[in-house]
Amino acid sequence: MIFTIFMLIIFYITSETETSIIASFLPKESQGWKMSGKPRTYPDTSIYDYMNGAGEIYLAYDFKNLVVQRYVKKNSPEIIVEVFDMGVPEFAYGVFSHTQGGGNNTNIGQGSEYSAGLLYFWKERYFVCVRAEYETKESKNAVLTLGESIATKIKAEGEKPHLLNFLPYEALVENSIRYFFRHEILNYHYFVADKNILLLNNSTRAILARYKNNRDYLLLVQYPTETDACSARDNFVKIYMPEASDSGIVQMENGKWTAVSALKNYVIIIFDAVQRDYAQKKIESLTRNILQ
Amino acid sequence: MSEYTITRRDFLKGTTAAALALTLGVPLNISGEQKNKTKVVLIRNPDVLNRKGKINEPIVRKMLDDAVSTLLNKNDPVEAWKTIVKPDDIVGVKSNVWTHLPTPLEIEDAIRMRLMNVGVVEKKISFDDRGVLGNRVFRQATVLINVRPLRTHHWSGIGGCIKNYVMFAPNPADYHSDSCADLGALWNLPIVKDKTRLNILVMLTPQFHNIGPHHFSKEFTWQYKGILVGTDPVALDAVGLRILEAKRRDYFGEETPLKPPAKHIALADTKHKIGTSKLKEIEIVKLGWKEELYIE
Repeated sequence: MIFTIFMLIIFYITSETETSIIASFLPKESQGWKMSGKPRTYPDTSIYDYMNGAGEIYLAYDFKNLVVQRYVKKNSPEIIVEVFDMGVPEFAYGVFSHTQGGGNNTNIGQGSEYSAGLLYFWKERYFVCVRAEYETKESKNAVLTLGESIATKIKAEGEKPHLLNFLPYEALVENSIRYFFRHEILNYHYFVADKNILLLNNSTRAILARYKNNRDYLLLVQYPTETDACSARDNFVKIYMPEASDSGIVQMENGKWTAVSALKNYVIIIFDAVQRDYAQKKIESLTRNILQ
Repeated sequence: MSEYTITRRDFLKGTTAAALALTLGVPLNISGEQKNKTKVVLIRNPDVLNRKGKINEPIVRKMLDDAVSTLLNKNDPVEAWKTIVKPDDIVGVKSNVWTHLPTPLEIEDAIRMRLMNVGVVEKKISFDDRGVLGNRVFRQATVLINVRPLRTHHWSGIGGCIKNYVMFAPNPADYHSDSCADLGALWNLPIVKDKTRLNILVMLTPQFHNIGPHHFSKEFTWQYKGILVGTDPVALDAVGLRILEAKRRDYFGEETPLKPPAKHIALADTKHKIGTSKLKEIEIVKLGWKEELYIE
């Protein structure tokens, strides 16, 4: 009992400390917009109180805490800053990768985009959104300045996931890269199946990326062990492409090709390849990258 | 829960609901025989909104009257409403208060007027959204009317008729799993089951795109100036989805499927069996303005 109380106190102090750290990133004003009220915090599933179902995205990346701060200026749209503590840099990158592709790069933080009043970027273990109620020339400047200021106050940088190093970069659509570990996120970007047939879980890591020209998709999943990878491959083949259990490659109903391979503790899948040879070469390219 | 796994290939084969196929960018033939189709009515009027988006109340009222009359095969709107609501009914109108695109008050007023024309006393009518579970009228309701604007949604694909009932769930988060795949199950909750007499999907200024969880920009809405009505919420969502996809194709200049796919519509049909999502089984009656209809 005493131990439990002790741990709760430690947890509370830690949470408050982390919230204070995030609050220290927030400037008091930007371009005439001033802080309004105190920052509000939403740890864990209390994020639903703030953003309902949309909170699932962040929970799918093991989100820890959200700090929200409003900025106001007379006769101007309100600006809201949301700082998500994702726990580790790879999940901050993951959330950013989930969202990217909708705006223009602004070179803020370690990866950023801006569109229609919304700026989002990641740096170290934080994912940050700065959004204006509606966009004006002044609010855009204020949003970008706020973002830059916050990014500057986050001193450290985080490493990108090492899985990215395996991707073939020729013809890659870089802002199509998605990094995740839950099948809901895979289905969000490329619906595979209503059940988790690739056996994704908290111990797996995955990248989905699209390629130009042929518009095919590459999915690379890392499993804890080689046995896990083989089980996932076999399950995928059994449900998705049972007719290709030996070859690992099949032409789909839309005329495009899907190919799958398991190598060490990785599974590689090519979706929507226009030609069989292309799919096989892509698998070989990724295989070489993994074996190097 | 079904043991059968629905995969992408099922949609490519056409062995399951077409609504999700739409979101995967699979071309569809929506023609089919007229027999036994679910009917929805789409009505549009170029003058229902001014350039600033202000609603013309008499016009929107007439649009709703014409749509409901056509749907229910009556010449008079009050007679049409009488076929779905009785004077002694207790009526809950499930509306939507989302800040950026709420149900227009003009449409709520039009509904209220017709309910009272039927003879329902005002104290037995309630409009609500997030407070429905604590609302006595809703708890005692014998009739539900479902009304909301159509928009994209970051986690479910779209917010339409089916999703509008999520506030009837004691814990809405229970329906978030896998991009809200099982929203159709809401319609089997005791508080709502078999009570909905009319669904109204407001398409005056639908939202066709968003970036991130609660992003909204007027840039991604347009003056479609329409209202969709029907008794089948799945059919309305399927038609609304089709229109959004067409608008996105037009705006972005290429096939730009929704993310995530609004698969809850297809699953509301195939798994939860609360309506039809197959466009070839839906009769779309089109009234009024036909310019840039975005639906065949």
